[in-house]
Parts: sequence; structure tokens; C-alpha cells
Amino acid sequence: MPQLKSIKALEDLRNKLNKDKDPQKPCIALCAGTGCIALGAHKLVETFKKELKQRKLDRKVDLLVTGCHGFCERGVIVVVRPEGIMYQRVQENDVSEIIETTIMKNEIIERLLYEDLSTGEKIIFEKDIPFYKHQQRLVFGNNSRISPVSIEDYIAIGGYTALAKVLSGMDPDEIIEIINKSGLRGRGGGGFPTGRKWQSCRDAEGETKYVIINADEGDPGAYMDRSLLEGNPHSVLEGLIIGAYTIGSHEGYIYVRQEYPLALKHFTIALEQAREYGLLGNNIMGSGFNFDVKVNRGGGAFVCGESTALMASLEGKVGEPRSKHVHTVEKGLRDNPTTLNNVETWANVPLIINNGWEWFTGIGTERSKGTKIFSLVGKVNNSGLVEVPMGVSLRKIIYDIGGGIIGNKPFKAVQTGGPSGGVVPASLLDLPVDFERLTEAGSMMGSGGMIVMDENNCMVDIAKYFVNFLKDESCGKCTSCREGLIQMYEILNDITEGRGREGDIELLEDLSWILDETSLCALGSSASNPVKSSLLYFRDEYETHIRDKKCPAKVCKALITYTIDQEACTGCTLCLRQCPNNAISGEVKKPHQIDQGKCIKCGICFDVCKFNAIIVE
Amino acid sequence: MKNNDQRIGVFVCHCGSNIAATVDVKKVVEEIKNYPGVEHCENYVYMCSEPGQQLIREKIREKNLNGIVVAACSPTLHELTFRRACEAEGVNPFRFESANIREHCSWVHHDISSATSKAVKIVQTIIEKVKQNEKLTPISIPVTRKALVIGGGIAGIQASLDIANSGYEVILVEKESSIGGHMIQLSETFPTLDCSQCILTPKMVEAGHHNNIKLYSYSEVEDVSGYVGNFKVKIKKKPRYVDYEKCTGCGDCMTHCPVHYKPHIQPKPEYSKQIEPRLKKEVDQILKNYLPAQEGSQDKEMLVLILQDINLKYNYLPEQALKYVSERLSVSLPQIYHVATFYTAFSLTPRGDHLIRVCTGTACHTRGALKILDEFQRQLEIKPGETTPDNKFTLETVACLGCCALAPVAVIDDDYFMMTPKKVGELLKKYSKI
Repeated sequence: MPQLKSIKALEDLRNKLNKDKDPQKPCIALCAGTGCIALGAHKLVETFKKELKQRKLDRKVDLLVTGCHGFCERGVIVVVRPEGIMYQRVQENDVSEIIETTIMKNEIIERLLYEDLSTGEKIIFEKDIPFYKHQQRLVFGNNSRISPVSIEDYIAIGGYTALAKVLSGMDPDEIIEIINKSGLRGRGGGGFPTGRKWQSCRDAEGETKYVIINADEGDPGAYMDRSLLEGNPHSVLEGLIIGAYTIGSHEGYIYVRQEYPLALKHFTIALEQAREYGLLGNNIMGSGFNFDVKVNRGGGAFVCGESTALMASLEGKVGEPRSKHVHTVEKGLRDNPTTLNNVETWANVPLIINNGWEWFTGIGTERSKGTKIFSLVGKVNNSGLVEVPMGVSLRKIIYDIGGGIIGNKPFKAVQTGGPSGGVVPASLLDLPVDFERLTEAGSMMGSGGMIVMDENNCMVDIAKYFVNFLKDESCGKCTSCREGLIQMYEILNDITEGRGREGDIELLEDLSWILDETSLCALGSSASNPVKSSLLYFRDEYETHIRDKKCPAKVCKALITYTIDQEACTGCTLCLRQCPNNAISGEVKKPHQIDQGKCIKCGICFDVCKFNAIIVE
Repeated sequence: MKNNDQRIGVFVCHCGSNIAATVDVKKVVEEIKNYPGVEHCENYVYMCSEPGQQLIREKIREKNLNGIVVAACSPTLHELTFRRACEAEGVNPFRFESANIREHCSWVHHDISSATSKAVKIVQTIIEKVKQNEKLTPISIPVTRKALVIGGGIAGIQASLDIANSGYEVILVEKESSIGGHMIQLSETFPTLDCSQCILTPKMVEAGHHNNIKLYSYSEVEDVSGYVGNFKVKIKKKPRYVDYEKCTGCGDCMTHCPVHYKPHIQPKPEYSKQIEPRLKKEVDQILKNYLPAQEGSQDKEMLVLILQDINLKYNYLPEQALKYVSERLSVSLPQIYHVATFYTAFSLTPRGDHLIRVCTGTACHTRGALKILDEFQRQLEIKPGETTPDNKFTLETVACLGCCALAPVAVIDDDYFMMTPKKVGELLKKYSKI
């Protein structure tokens, strides 16, 4: 492919690509995001190829291997186009049936369809499935339409038009004004206005300036950035190039978490293709603008998602944050002005340029504009990635899109914002989700993790989990964070192991205050949020642990015992055989016993029992 | 006093529930009763109360005791109380000792049986001490009202100033040629980031000019003898070979000195000559991809990337390779280790053939990741971060793999698995054959 030497060349290429494409040609779109790969997507691709070839259909039917569709719970997802029929939980032995029945005879395979959880109705088309129907997939939607390793796919659906528009003579100040007016705010957690960040960086003194994609998605329970990079890397890159042009930068970086090998691979391929097509390098599309991007892998440190720590890591140093009396937009990487934005933020930029700020401000709430991708996980029926306009209620996300709680149990709380966020209880289920309202509720938007919890999740345990995580991830530079988190963990651990004392809650509150006030970076100053918010809404649960030495959710091992209901037990011996510590005894067809001295409280017997005969107290 | 003359009374205090809740006081009495030299032993709720003290006095009279141990709180609280009680009955107060089974035992432990046996040991130790105690008579001696402060860091300077400002004479001894210590070498102090010189220099000047402070810099304390209030101290003033009454501190002598004094500099070891040739060749291959660094960046910025590649190749960071990289990048070895131990991606010990990573992200945690981890630990008999003795498996945890919808998840090498505790055994069986 010759380089695209002008903006017209890009348009010509797009027209040619679309002309060659028959919209009525059958296409099997198969999700091969990390979730579906774990469920065997690679084997499925091979089988489809083989079976299509056997039937001499490989030229008549397109096989499109895409990135993540978001509905990971139901993987592997296969969509048959142009009709848009969606099959879920597809396995290898379903392949020939899909080809023979749906492709060749145009008939539906009932058993592979999605079944509505409340009505039991089978749904044929992707667009009708509640999980998709209630979403507004502006940023994420193209994932299922293109192959992530094909720049031509991206160009064909209108990719790089925003870049072309910018390079065809837009003034950087004009771009900044558009971004400012759009109200776009950082999607990584802080919610800082993107336009203002760009403006400061553009105004900062210095010849060399940098732009960076923050793909060190460290919040446990959040994976939207990974799926975007895996499924649509060019959209992120396009945003980055526009940002670089606006700020006046000629060198960009991407900092990808080492746990995301596929994202790294797809983005690296995207870079190579963009260079090949002349969308990176010198004189991009004949505009005279030069820009290129380097790839850096993270080293597995949560704190490196923090801007100054990330930049230290890019400089080959230990990822320790510094105090930010001088902002990174003035002195960032190698002490040069640097703009760092999250993956999702960059991916929003081309949309705004293409559609205008007026369009963007039409979506969302007063101060939070546009959409946000959330990773809806935990005890929810439809786990996956959901993109909704800002301001949609938690109820809509969890019940309409997520299909409610697994096993129809009562909803207890949702944890948002990762380790720096907090829990939002059932009483706030109608809370509109945007930056401000979540902060008011004692949590935060964060990068968009939503971990749904039911009555079997213990709030003290969850707080302990996050404090333990942060304790391990604290870089150790400042005392309050390093030592404070260890002490908080010890107290929480004592509470969950039945050694809680009166005054522990007050001590936790004191420590929280110290951490908030004296930590050097946001990791420390927000580290107490999980504790504070769970204390705010679930103080009684802490008190029950401390005073009655009981765990209401029956999670904290030291506070529960497993016994066998002598009436319900049928003596099937299943638990006896599964018990890892041989703590269960009994004869066949007679009620079994648990030796409390030997029981390690692993809960396996509870999980395997088919007769609900294991009692937890 | 001979052993068979010892008639010691031991009194074990409950201190309400402060001691009795954690230490089995009755058991302590049982254990101590027949200890050599013990004439009498009993327990009581509050030894420091008036009835408690009366109890001691009664027993002294009754059993003609000549040594007393009260097992209770810290001596700082009630040593005096009990000494007075002893004295009132004619027992020399210095034949009394407190055995601290509260602050040193009951308050800091949870387990009753081990706390009790520790309390017994504490009491026995103190009984042995009482056996050695001689009858003492207090005397009064004159005291020299002068203080010696050793070390002129911030603590020493402040202590000297406090004492001097209270009107006493202070002798401040500092081994270096200037006071100031470590703090004066820092640029900022934690956590307020105040300038350390701004805090310290006024104090240094004040200490240097204070009428009550006699400063001996470049001096060391050689010998201390005497006793409380009457110490004799020998201070060695190290030779300066400079008449510092006349010295203006111009520094010219330093530039003209024919023998350059270079402290702390040792010749650098040549790691490139110590490294195995094969390893060197392979590391060189990796270095070639990054060095020399492109314009605008420095060689040492490539450190993390280079270590990642080495770690990828060997599954860990061999020591020789780290030393060699340190030399090639001109980054000090401590700095290299700082980076190598900071990032969890790096390992300093070889990993096994298969790397098992169990996701402990929030979604996996809520869906039972710990059960999966427990099961891996149990079957492999190793903890996270360890490798099996046959070098087959390494077990690690990872904060989040981003497959939250499939929770709980584990990754073996590069393959992702939706887990159940039962699946652990199947997977281990499968992979142990590969």
C-alpha cells in the first residue's frame, strides 16, 4: 500500500474500500477478546475456517475476527450479518450447525439464542437484547464491526476522518475550544477537563512536548481500556495524533500494563500499519506535521497509573510519584511539558471532532458530558462492558442492562472507582451516575469499574481486600501511606478474625483522616475511601463483627462454622470426597459430620452440596 | 545471702481482668509455689489496694519473709508503693522487685496458655534477681550540674540548646568537623517538604555561640568513668594540622594539596569480565535493541525495557546480567536493584517451567478467588511467589487480568481459565505432563 500523501488520498481509499464491499454478503463476526479467547475463541476461528473451506464457502462468506463485544458473560459471541443474529456461548461443535442452518438455509438455531432472564423469551437479534438495547455505544460500538488488526476496516467505517479534518487546516486553538466546549473530562478517574489540560500544555514553555496514552489500567475489576486497545486500537491512536497536533508534540508514548499482552500486540500492529499508510511519521497526509509513537510496557505496579509515577517509569526509574507543585503539563516526562490522557479519553476525541461539541454536550448531565464505559462485574447476571450516557441511574445499569443479581438475591451494594472508590448501597440505587454524584455519595467514578455485591459479600472483607491491595501497591515513599495502610490492614484483619475491639472503628477513622491529609499522591490520599464509605453505609456490619463476633454475610472464616443438617443430608458422600482436609466423616446413605477441629472452612462442601444440607453460622 | 537463707514471698496480682483475663493467675501460683527459695505464694485481685498491701505486711510478719516479688504492672507504677510496704515491716526495700506481667505479657498477648507460661518465666527471672539483691541503704552525694551531649546532629543540637537555655553548662562533642549531622545534607524534610537548612542553620549558629555550650567538633569521646552526677569523661580532639584560630576557611589549601584525599572511592569492579561469555552474548543482543538510546533520551531510560526483555528470556533476572547492565548503562547496582525489586513483573529467583497466576482482582475476589488460590497452594504445597522443588510450577497472584466476566480466573503461562476449586487438580495434572 502506498503512503497516503494527502487528505484526498484517504478519502479515495475509503471510497474504494466501501465500493468493493457488498453489504449483503454474509459475514460471521466472532468475538476474540481476552474473555472469549479464554472460552476457546481461537479454536472456534480455526474450525470456522476449516468448515467454510470444506463447503467451498470461504469466498462467499466473510469471517470477521473482532475485539471484545462487551458481553463477556455469554462468550463466545458470534454475530451473523447482515441480519444481526446473535448466538451466545458458542462452542466448537456448534460451528457446522451455524454454517449449515443459518448461513446456508437462513434458519435460526433456537438453542444458541439469548434467553431473556425475566420473560424466558428467546431473542434473535443482537440489537434487541436488553444488554445492548439500553446502551449507547459511541466509543465502544465499533469493536464488533471491525478487525482490530486491519487499518482498512477502520478507515472504511470512517476512521481517521477526524484527523483529516484537523490536518486540513484547523487551528490548534480552535480544536482546544471545541474540546473545552464539549466538556470532555478525563476518563481515567480524576475527571479533569481535557481541554484545559491541553491548553496548559500548549501554553507551557518548551520546544519538546510529549503526549502519552495511559493504558496502565490498574484498578482491579476494570478492563474497558484493555478491550478498547484490543478491539479498536486505531480510534485511540487517532485521538492521540489529534492531541499531539493540537499541543505541538512530535513524540508520543503509550504505557501499557504488562498483564495485557493482546492489547500491546494489537496496538503495536496498529502503529506499524499507521506508519505504512503515512498516518504516522514525517509529513502526515501531506500536512507537514510530524509525529510518531513509542510503546512501553508497564512493570506491574499499580501506582504507575499515577501521572508522575508513570513518567518516572517511562524514564526507566522506579515508579514513585513526586509532589505536584509543578504540574506535568508544564514539567512532565524528562521535565518537558506532557499531556497524559487515559485510553478512553483519547478515543472520545475523534468522535467530538467529527460530530461537533454541540452533539457531544447533548449527551450526559450538566457537568459530565458524553458516555462512559463501565465494567459491570461481580454478582450480576450479565457481566461485561457497558457504555451508557453519563447520568443513567445505577438501577438501569444493574437491572436493565445487567439483568439483575445472580440467583435473584437482594442487591446489597456496588463498588465503584476501584481501590480509591467506595461502596454505594441499595438505598442509592436511583443515583444518576456521573462524576459529581458519585463523589457526593462518598465513592468516585474512577476508571469505571462496577463491582456488584449481594448479601453474601461482607463489607468489612471488601474494605480489607482493598486496603490489602493498596498496602501491597504503595510505593513506600511517604510514611503515612506506607505505614498507615499496614496499620489499617492489621485493624481490619483483627476485626474479620474476631479480635476486633471497641474503639477500632474510631481508630480507622483517625487513620483515614491522616492518610487523606498527608499523603503525597492520590494513591494514599484516596486509599481510605473504601473504608470510609463502607463505614458510612455499613457501620452496623463492622459493629456486629466487633461486638457479636459474627459475620452477617458469612464470609469471614474465623467467625463462621460449617455444620451438616442431619435431616437434609442424604449421605451422598459428595462432600466427604471433595473435602480437602478429610474433615467430613460418615457412612453412605447416613447423615455425615464435620470435624470442627479439622475443618479449614474452605466452603467447598457448601458449594458442592446438592441438598442444601450444609449450614453456615 | 545464701540460697537456703532465702525466704521470698511472691504475690500475683489480677489487676481486675487486666492480667487475669489473659494470664491464668492461679496456675502461676501453682507453678511458683514450689520454686526454690519461695516461702509463700498467693494471688489477689488488686495488690496495690490497701488490703493488698496489708496482705504483704501480714505475710512478712507471719512467715518472716526477707524478699518480696509482686507480679503485677510495670515498676514505674507501683515499685515505690510496695517498697514502702516492705520497709514498714522491716524488710529492706531493695529486697523488693516488681515482675511485670501486665505491659510485658497480658496486654500484648491473646493466647492464655502461652501468656501464662510466659508470666511464669517472668516471675521466675525476677525471683532469681531478688536472690541476688543485697540490702542497700540510700546515701546523698553532691552532683556536678553539667551535661555531656555526644553527637551534634539535630537531636544533639536541640538537646544541647534546651539544657543550655535552662541554665546548665553543656559539653557538645561531634566527631565530624562540623555539627549538623545527616539533616544538613538533606534538601527537604518529610512530610512538609520544608527546607532542612532553614530549620537547622539557625540552631547550628546558636549552639556554636551559646555561652553555656562548649563545643568540641572533630573530637571523640574516648572514655567515660564515674557514676551518676560524677562522671569523668576523656575527650580526644583529633589533630587538624591547621590553626583554626587563624583559618578563614578559604579552601586554598585543598586545591594545593599534593596528596589528594579522596574518601570512599573504590575502583569499580569490571562486571563485563566476570559475566559468563554466553550470558554476555545474549544480554548484548538485548542491549543492542535499545542502545545507544535515540536522540532526546538517555541510555539509562532504557533500564526498565531492558530488564523486561531479560526477564522474558530467562524468566527471571540473573545476578550477573544485572551487574553487567549496571556497567553498560552506568547506573549504580543499588539503583538497578531498586528498580528490579519495585516492579512485580521482575523476579530475582528462577521461575518454574509453568507460571500460574491467580487473579485476585475485585471481581474474582467477590466470586471466590481465594478458594482457588488456597487450592493451588494446598496441592502444590507452596505459597504465592514460590516455586515447587521440582521447578515445575511457580505460583503468583495478579491484581486483575481484566477478564472479570469470567471470574474467578487463573492464567497458566499464556492461557486463561475460568476456575473452580475442582479444576485446579485437572489443570495441574495436565500441565505437569507438558
